[in-house]
Amino acid sequence: MERVIGIDLGTTNSCVAILENGSPTVIPNRGGYKTTPSMVAITEAGKRLVGHIAKRQAITNAENTVYAAKRLIGRKWNSPQVKNAVATSSYRIVQGPHTDVRIVLRDKDYSVSEVSAMVLQEMKVIAEDYLGETVSKAVITVPAYFNDNQRQATKDAGEIAGLDVIRIINEPTAAALSYGFGKNYEKTIAVYDFGGGTFDISILEIGANGVFKVVATAGDTFLGGEDVDARIIDWLVQGFKEEHGIDLRQDRMALQRLKDAAEKAKCELSSVRETEVNLPFIISSGRNEALHLQRTIDRKTIEDLSADLIERTIDICRQTLADARLEKEDIEEAILVGGMTRMPKIQQAVADFFEREPCKGVHPDESVALGAGIQGSALIDDKQDMVLLDVTPHALGIMTQGGYFEELIPQNTTVPTHRTKIFTTSRENQTAVKIVVMQGESERAEDNELLGEFILTGLRRAQKGAIEIEVTFEINADGIVSVHAKDLETAKEQSIEVTASSGLTRDEIKDMIDGAKDYMVERRSTEELEATKQEAERLIGEIERLFPQVEQIVAASDFGRDAIEKARAILGKARQAIAKREVVAIKAEVEGLSRTHRMFKGVVAKTH
Amino acid sequence: MPEPPNRKARAKSAPPTQENRDSDRPTLSPPFDVEAFARATAAAGAAPAGEGPPTVRAEVRAEQVTLTNEVELEIARAKSKRRTTPPRRANTPTALSMANSRVPSATNVPGARPAPAVGAVRSPAAPPPPAATPPAADAEPRSMSPSSIEAAVLGAIGSPAPEITERTIEDPIAEMRTRFSLGDYSGALEVAELLLAEDPADAEVIDCADKCRTVLEGMYAARLGSLEQVPAVIVQRTQLRWLSIDHRAGFVLSLIDGSSSLEMILDVSGMPRLDAMRILVELIAQRIVALR
Repeated sequence: MERVIGIDLGTTNSCVAILENGSPTVIPNRGGYKTTPSMVAITEAGKRLVGHIAKRQAITNAENTVYAAKRLIGRKWNSPQVKNAVATSSYRIVQGPHTDVRIVLRDKDYSVSEVSAMVLQEMKVIAEDYLGETVSKAVITVPAYFNDNQRQATKDAGEIAGLDVIRIINEPTAAALSYGFGKNYEKTIAVYDFGGGTFDISILEIGANGVFKVVATAGDTFLGGEDVDARIIDWLVQGFKEEHGIDLRQDRMALQRLKDAAEKAKCELSSVRETEVNLPFIISSGRNEALHLQRTIDRKTIEDLSADLIERTIDICRQTLADARLEKEDIEEAILVGGMTRMPKIQQAVADFFEREPCKGVHPDESVALGAGIQGSALIDDKQDMVLLDVTPHALGIMTQGGYFEELIPQNTTVPTHRTKIFTTSRENQTAVKIVVMQGESERAEDNELLGEFILTGLRRAQKGAIEIEVTFEINADGIVSVHAKDLETAKEQSIEVTASSGLTRDEIKDMIDGAKDYMVERRSTEELEATKQEAERLIGEIERLFPQVEQIVAASDFGRDAIEKARAILGKARQAIAKREVVAIKAEVEGLSRTHRMFKGVVAKTH
Repeated sequence: MPEPPNRKARAKSAPPTQENRDSDRPTLSPPFDVEAFARATAAAGAAPAGEGPPTVRAEVRAEQVTLTNEVELEIARAKSKRRTTPPRRANTPTALSMANSRVPSATNVPGARPAPAVGAVRSPAAPPPPAATPPAADAEPRSMSPSSIEAAVLGAIGSPAPEITERTIEDPIAEMRTRFSLGDYSGALEVAELLLAEDPADAEVIDCADKCRTVLEGMYAARLGSLEQVPAVIVQRTQLRWLSIDHRAGFVLSLIDGSSSLEMILDVSGMPRLDAMRILVELIAQRIVALR
């Protein structure tokens, strides 16, 4: 049976998991880490870096390193989030050809889906290396508030990466799946997800027979662990400035080291009460001296530095409960997700707010991917009964007279669903009405997302308000939204099916798929070359180590001199092949080298 | 080498003085405790004539080291370049002014061992400098630069810093060509970069700069060996701050985690590949880093 991987495509880190022998398992990357930074960079030499390696040069190569692409995926160029990202990102964000967003790296434009595909491709490779087989199917998680376009853009990213995305599921649902896997829970839970770049709170109902329903969700896409890192950096920079009069922010190398050190200190302070930040040779004094940064930071300091950030998350929790008309007592369990929830102060804040100790039974970094892995397995395994009921992340409605938004399907309505409402004409002798379909929560239509529009014509000329038009919204199980408008007098009807769009055309996606395939072929051949080269170099080293002994043995005998010459020739040819970086030639020489190595070892062993 | 260096340019340089000859002295430890001497002289206000340094100086000069390895020469040149005031431009638009003497060692004091007596920087929380033991068990004892040592001593007794002299290159293109033909790729690249700052489109200069970079990269690559090797810091963490390296080398050092290969470090360093390679070669040569 084909394996399905579950991918948590995070704002700052991504994680991949599978269900192995009935148990959900996170797959570590080559470095042994279970999460991989969702970062992509292009070096000066044009080399693509993904993951930890991209993160390590994120500040020194800031213009060509993409982080938090998830904040941009599926968004329109004129959206407030994109404007915010344009103002705050170190990399260039430009308008795409379809009012979408493009990222410029080394003078080349990339769509956001393409960049996310690079991360997904890395996760795919991690899974393939671990499983030793090709992986083509995946379940990918997205925040519960993602709209249809963002979900479609994530699907497109999967497709570009060579993955058949069989289901997109909400992150809190995945976390809840991980929490409730194998247990027959029936309860209302809160998933408090404080990650590296975003904060989300979701309320879910886990019903009988494994039914998971998102009751409410909210969050802040610009609030995360990186904000805490920034506070620590500020604290370190300020302290250094007071001591030496030098602003470390002016030096990129210093800032890169500060960023790494701040994140490390933040993580350490979750388990120890104080830690030392020691950065020797952080900057030049300008008098040909290198200065060192050495400071001790304690838990109290980091808690003070991040107090307002923690309070913001609690405010969002309070508002979400109010929106869902729930009381704190209704929440039977609070689950902590995201690396930041390791911070004792946050755990305390959540406990104080929900008036109960939060559950620490799920892994903060891995639970979302594990949930996706569980869902992936359930989708191909008929024996597993699991029903995921998702809700509409945003309200759906139409624009009305005066630029207002009239809601038909409220936020958090379980899908599939349909709602109907009667509208009237707003002008005298109006013969046509324009139905503008929107998604969002604002009363002002312009603040919401436009999904599509159509015109219902042929209305009878009459006084304003005399003609009644019935508008029906329908969302099917696949999340496809259809809107019908019907003139109740004539029964004339017009409709539209709103198809989510990532902002990419099919041709563009096809080109990107081809590009990703080419990259993989090149990457695999480079890896093969490096592995073969290393093997050849290892054998050369071994032979060179034995050479003096063998020469000595041969010199004392009448035989084997030609073998020495042959060995020399083989070494020479192998070195030439390595220098030319020709994998076929190196492979051919490895055979000769292995023979020579075996022979040399035999000669030395026999003599001793 | 077919020709000696540009005589014309050299003719304009200042005549060698005791001071600028001293700045070129080799790297050897003097046979006395410099820090103790510096502290003593600083405390006394002035050193009595005939004590300590004068006799030592003569001995040190007598043991002048000659660098013959090309890579080592390049490293030495790079080090010298960093310690030198950037070449200044002459008033005339066509000429370039080049500093021909190294910065006095007084500005180069703290490197290996910060000595409070001469105002080296030390964090209040920092431990005192270690005794004259090698920083790592398997590393050879590192010697302090005599010029640094003497500067410490001179600084302590309030001696004025040596003067910096300049020379003007009237035809920098010719200088670049000459340096290139003499195999002074680092020097040629230095002149080429100055020229490119004035005219970034000069094809000949771009070509020369590219060739220099290629040759230098080749030299450093040969020295480093396979870029798949993994470097590891062999100096104890607590001893790092007493090393004589600059902040750029400190940055490269911070990237060495014992699992990243040379290639990865070159990728993430964010500095020109040539610079990063030179620093890595330098760190290995100083036995701060070893390859696995």
